[in-house]
Amino acid sequence: MRPHTPWVSGLLLMAASLSLQAQPWEFAEPVAITATSGKGIFHHLESSGRRNIAVSAGTVAVAWEDDRDGTPRIYLARKARQAGGFSAEVKISGNGEAYEPSLVALDQNLFALAWEEDARIHARLVSPAGPGPVVIVADTNATQASLAIHGQQLLLIYSQAEGRYGRIWFQRLAVDGQTLRPQQRCPVDAETVKDDQLYPVAVSLGDRTLVAWEDRRPGHTIIMAAQNSKQAPCRFTAPQRISERPPGPRMPYGKGHGVARVALDSYGANRALAAWADKRDFREGYDIYAADYEGGDERLFGPNIKVQDTFGGFAQQWHTTVAGHPAGRLVVAWDDNRDGNADIVLSWREDDGWSDDLAVPGAAGPGEQNHPTISLDREGNLHLAWIERATVGGPTRLRYMFGRALKD
Amino acid sequence: MVRAVLLLVITLIALPVMAEAPQGYPFQSFDKAMQQAEAENKPLFVYFGRYGCGYCEKTNKEAFSDNGVREAYTRNYVLAYVDSESGKRLRLPSGERITEREVGTRYNAFVTPVFTFMTPDGQPLMRLVGVQRIEDLTEADKKVQQALAGAGKK
Repeated sequence: MRPHTPWVSGLLLMAASLSLQAQPWEFAEPVAITATSGKGIFHHLESSGRRNIAVSAGTVAVAWEDDRDGTPRIYLARKARQAGGFSAEVKISGNGEAYEPSLVALDQNLFALAWEEDARIHARLVSPAGPGPVVIVADTNATQASLAIHGQQLLLIYSQAEGRYGRIWFQRLAVDGQTLRPQQRCPVDAETVKDDQLYPVAVSLGDRTLVAWEDRRPGHTIIMAAQNSKQAPCRFTAPQRISERPPGPRMPYGKGHGVARVALDSYGANRALAAWADKRDFREGYDIYAADYEGGDERLFGPNIKVQDTFGGFAQQWHTTVAGHPAGRLVVAWDDNRDGNADIVLSWREDDGWSDDLAVPGAAGPGEQNHPTISLDREGNLHLAWIERATVGGPTRLRYMFGRALKD
Repeated sequence: MVRAVLLLVITLIALPVMAEAPQGYPFQSFDKAMQQAEAENKPLFVYFGRYGCGYCEKTNKEAFSDNGVREAYTRNYVLAYVDSESGKRLRLPSGERITEREVGTRYNAFVTPVFTFMTPDGQPLMRLVGVQRIEDLTEADKKVQQALAGAGKK
């Protein structure tokens, strides 16, 4: 590389410094989440809604699936805020093939997980003393579990096959010490399913629960949402389409453009954002689109907005995830290949729209960094976990990074 | 009359409702196709589509319906179909567990359809992006076959 003249170096330094000042977080060095990696081991961070990281009091936890012993199983690793690394992981699932763990945090270093095992949805609590008993919530053809917190209750949402199609179910779980007790259960869409309902995610907004999912009823995949109320937790509004049909004439072939994998989180005072991968501009591949919750039963979400910046248009975006904070901070993460390989990229909501995209230092560069999962703790610090690999198709490593919140 | 109605019903049922792998071809899942391709040392032809994909439907109707294309592709390749938005789980010969969507991500199926010719172990040789005509598929087959013959793989 040619050396810069002093004034060019000065400008670059100034630009870098400005860029750093604009960032809401200062990132620490990445650390390994588990020491178990190597040939033939493949970790997966892929729960419905991408909720694989959570923070309770001073402890961050990450849940994932890997097949180190030949069978896909669920593991949980935790790290105290001040500790240099994660403690040895705890096996969460049983003897069956287990997939897609969803993780949320309750108070006092208590965590809850739900996952699919042998086509049944399992859930359990994990306290500092160890895992509590397993409860089996859905016992046939169930998949894609996603958890949310509602006060001291848990909300579980999942897809269960009914005939040919998956249907979204809502299940409340009471927390009784270290034990989960199933409560009310009902389908989110009261109508008979006409095509697949998949990959649901839920969030609690004070007196209501908001649910979003992939729906194939129009003959292609769209994102839909519905909400209930405190007075009638098992009665949801009629599903509404969130992902908009792009303007312009309909094509003579096919049913519509593709979307995939909605993520959802609350922020501010009972606000929420849904974000997903959207292929409405078929020349650019998937882009990150989002919609703000507006709250009315007649109109749950506002217009669609593109989250990524203009440079992202040259790349493809995958694996959308969202984290919000009660004070209003909102951040979306994904991976994209605008620099030639998969990097973790962030964009956060600013006063006048979405920030320029930031390739996260330490989670970008040679090799692949993808499948992000994020959480904001009480102080607004960002916790990020992702999958890393040196070569395409090679063994994976699980990485974690702490982003200390900077004052505005 | 009854026979005519029955025939119509059967025809409607047989039509692909959504864009999927074209009818009359032995398309199979990507992992099974890889196993077969490795066992037979035969190249792969991988069709990356998605549910409701318009250009997939157009290509199916206008190009894959051709008998010459059907004969050449069925003879020369192990055929795989990947729904690039599906969470269906696969197990690759490397032992890696992966979903169809992640296979699409890995092979950069950012639009659909994408058609990728691959070595039996999944290395891309050539790809076609978007709607294809009969002549596009015929030409691509010739190029791939010539390249493989030149490399002494046939």
